[in-house]
Amino acid sequence: MSDDTKLNSIVEPPPLVADVNDANTTPRPPPVPRLNLAALDEISRADPALFEDRRADPPFSRQVMTTPLHFYVASESLTNLWCNWNGYTVADQLTSLDDEYAALRHGAALADISPLVKYRISGPDALAWLRRLVTGNLVSLSVDEIIPVVFCEDRGLVVGDGLLFRLGDSEFRLVTEERHLAWFMDSAIGHNVRIEDVSKTLAAMSLQGPLSCAVLSEAGFSGIENLRCYTAHWFNVTGMPVYVSRSGNSGDLGYELWVDPDDAPAFWLRLLDKGKAYGVKAGGFALREIARIEAGIPRAGVDYLGAFSAVDPQSALTPFELGFSALVDLNGEHFTGREALRKAKTLPPRYILATLAVDWSAPLTFAAIRDGSGVAGIATSTGFSHALGINLALATLRPAAIADGAVLHVQAEVREELSLRVISAAARILAGPAVLLPARHLVPAPLVTRR
Amino acid sequence: MIHSDHQFDAIVIGAGHNGLIAAAYLGKAGKRVLLLEAATRLGGALTTAEVSPDYRVSTGAHLLDALPRRIEKDLKLAKHGLRFAARQLQTIALDRDHNHIVLALGRGNLDILRRHSAADADAFAAYLARMKSYSAVLGPLLRDALPDIEPETMSRRLRRLVWRAQRLGGETLESLMRQLPGSIGDLLNDTFETPLIKGALALDALMGSGEGPYSAGTALTSIARQSLRSISKGPHSIEGGLGGFTDALAASAASYGVVIRAATDVKRILVSDGHVYGIETQTNEIYEAPFVLSSAHPRETMLDLVGAKYLDAGLVKQLNEITDTGTTAKLNLSLDGLPTIQGLAPQEYGARILVAPSLVALDDAYTAFKHGGIASDIPMEVTMPSVIDAPLVPSGQHVMSIVMQYVPYEIKGGWEQGRDRLVDRAIETLSAYAPDLRQRIVAGELMLPPDIENKFGLVNGGWYHGDMRLDQLLSFRPAPALARYATPVKGLYLCGAGSHPGGGICGLPGEYAARLVLSEGARA
Repeated sequence: MSDDTKLNSIVEPPPLVADVNDANTTPRPPPVPRLNLAALDEISRADPALFEDRRADPPFSRQVMTTPLHFYVASESLTNLWCNWNGYTVADQLTSLDDEYAALRHGAALADISPLVKYRISGPDALAWLRRLVTGNLVSLSVDEIIPVVFCEDRGLVVGDGLLFRLGDSEFRLVTEERHLAWFMDSAIGHNVRIEDVSKTLAAMSLQGPLSCAVLSEAGFSGIENLRCYTAHWFNVTGMPVYVSRSGNSGDLGYELWVDPDDAPAFWLRLLDKGKAYGVKAGGFALREIARIEAGIPRAGVDYLGAFSAVDPQSALTPFELGFSALVDLNGEHFTGREALRKAKTLPPRYILATLAVDWSAPLTFAAIRDGSGVAGIATSTGFSHALGINLALATLRPAAIADGAVLHVQAEVREELSLRVISAAARILAGPAVLLPARHLVPAPLVTRR
Repeated sequence: MIHSDHQFDAIVIGAGHNGLIAAAYLGKAGKRVLLLEAATRLGGALTTAEVSPDYRVSTGAHLLDALPRRIEKDLKLAKHGLRFAARQLQTIALDRDHNHIVLALGRGNLDILRRHSAADADAFAAYLARMKSYSAVLGPLLRDALPDIEPETMSRRLRRLVWRAQRLGGETLESLMRQLPGSIGDLLNDTFETPLIKGALALDALMGSGEGPYSAGTALTSIARQSLRSISKGPHSIEGGLGGFTDALAASAASYGVVIRAATDVKRILVSDGHVYGIETQTNEIYEAPFVLSSAHPRETMLDLVGAKYLDAGLVKQLNEITDTGTTAKLNLSLDGLPTIQGLAPQEYGARILVAPSLVALDDAYTAFKHGGIASDIPMEVTMPSVIDAPLVPSGQHVMSIVMQYVPYEIKGGWEQGRDRLVDRAIETLSAYAPDLRQRIVAGELMLPPDIENKFGLVNGGWYHGDMRLDQLLSFRPAPALARYATPVKGLYLCGAGSHPGGGICGLPGEYAARLVLSEGARA
């Protein structure tokens, strides 16, 4: 008896494993399976492969992913602290936040930022599509230049923000915190443009800190010091191509490397190795968070909700309310939401996103920002700045809270062993980011000699 | 002031009835108007032509349903040659057993209905009264120009709606709330027992729509239709066919100084910094005007003529999602004499005749339609205009104009083979009532949904520039941001059937858009 006939003798449909593709069709009444257990046993012994689930992964079915650098990052970990970033398992802290922070602000910190969402945009209408998508003016964006962008829907509410790279005449890369493919495809109606999510096929790491340029130079990126802020360049290092951009969100000198996933580990190891003398340390997600809070950069999904994520449209904000005014050009070509934003500009903002300093010399946990009359806003991201010795927060505030003379404070519970104190700490609004260092813009970037 | 002949106060795209009406209203207000039509003749789907030499009939639409008297008077259509062959045509549901039901009150009519069912005769008056009260509640909402969406105006408007409903009594309000989201089939099943009256009333509600008698929301669409029709107490038959109506509109527009150009296809609408400034034709001629009104399909206007790059992405998506379902075919027949329909009084041959024996037959036809087939019993609306308008045909001869409902755009096996089968089925269906019809046919022409699309520029052969479905009515017609004729492109307005209140030869989108342009122009 052949295997096929044996199989038929065991199972009349239904299949042992439900076919996912059947989910949409009308459910059939389950036929009574006639299972011949003895024969089944015999076959499973004969060929276990028959019972293997050999379906390929349907798109997006895998919710827990690791980056191409996962094992190399893991080998740096002394804490076993991990967290979830965009579905990827990433290190939260590797050694200790203090050490990593010291490296970031005095040497350089290396981090795996592969979980960022990366889109490749190409085709004859790529530029036209982008011009209509983002609020800014792309006229002067040349090849190998980068521009921060924000994009809105019809009501002028922010859908997301990101970093736009021009890779070629009609090839672009848009790097965002959240996924936006559905909105991009909707926006593509009437455009001859190709939009691909290349997140999985492009690894990324960031090297931030005052010595980052020196480290890269040491690692063989010759001429890196002449790269201007928000530009990028192709390098060839030990035979491997790598696209390096002078960008990042630490408020300081920093670079990001965009590289083939197969080559990524080699670069990771090389930078750690060559950077040892410069105090390079691998950093985790917690470091990235405190760095961006110090630099006053809001994160999509945390500090603001995308227009399509907010259940209540009142919770979605305009670029003006988010502090992205500089990224909006109302006088250029048409983009989605332009009319709504022209109108919004004439109205007072409903909220204002600001950086808040809370003078307390130990990390605090708080959400409500209070003024004399009650809650004046909420802190969406908080962190303790080791450099300044204060708590920082990005907060969404009512306009009244930033008026002259408004006195703000936060309440927090401070626990010491079995005693608990409820403290009230004064909060003040900072005029700009807490950390914004001039080295970001210096050309040539400082090449400090090895310590 | 001297104008160059390429500069106007307003340009209207498309000379269908809505475009003609919009142009005429603007002309009447003293504006210099240019009206452009891509086809060589005016009128869109409202046109009269020969089926065969000397036999003339309305090629597409054959009855004037819902044109308000106001438009007739404002544009002096009677002076410009509009003559009614018959006003307020009776509607008759054909019965296999020759007890044809006239769908109107009146002792004689109710007596015949009583022969079918005594209960239905009683229920009929109550049904008409109920539909009237529903349409009294919803009518103003469904046919007046939409209020702007400022919350203030909107809530005042809604309060008035509730107040109107309350005035009619709690019972009306309750049954309205219960029945609105339901289907016309369920509503009729609740009311009547005779299959024929149910079938006929359902077909009346569903003509031209892509939904079945049991599709949710058809109760409301039927009330919407009723309330549009009640403006003019239609349907009416026009002398010389609906081409006569188009001629009167064109004459009226011309008398107000509107410049009409047929065979002039618009290539694009010219936009600069969010403002319209004119149009460019396929022959690269440029005409300038601060206002452009388009009676073309909203999607064609916004995506093909303006272009997605001048519009917000969300709006483009909404426009892209407008559905048009072609559901009808038109069969025009030249006859060498009047076919005999047993049981039909001589004066009733000129009426609007419905062939829909039951809800079951209608639902079967809908099922066949959904699966790309042809029903065995085809629901039909039939008129013989030559009975009341003799000059259409040589003496003693006749024409029959048949609208077949539930004919799909595409059919399994292709229309090459299906064409003859459809005609055969239609004549077979009618022969059950008029046995001598087949012998009387001299010639005929059939227009399938793809033919209707080609000839009249109606997408998929759908009548309405966007199906008149619950989700494509009122503030959703054609898209939320476009519901009040104005578009995000300043100076560009929509004035076709794709805008509120919609299709069905009511002319209201044309009138309302023109009035809006005049008031905005006055403000500017």
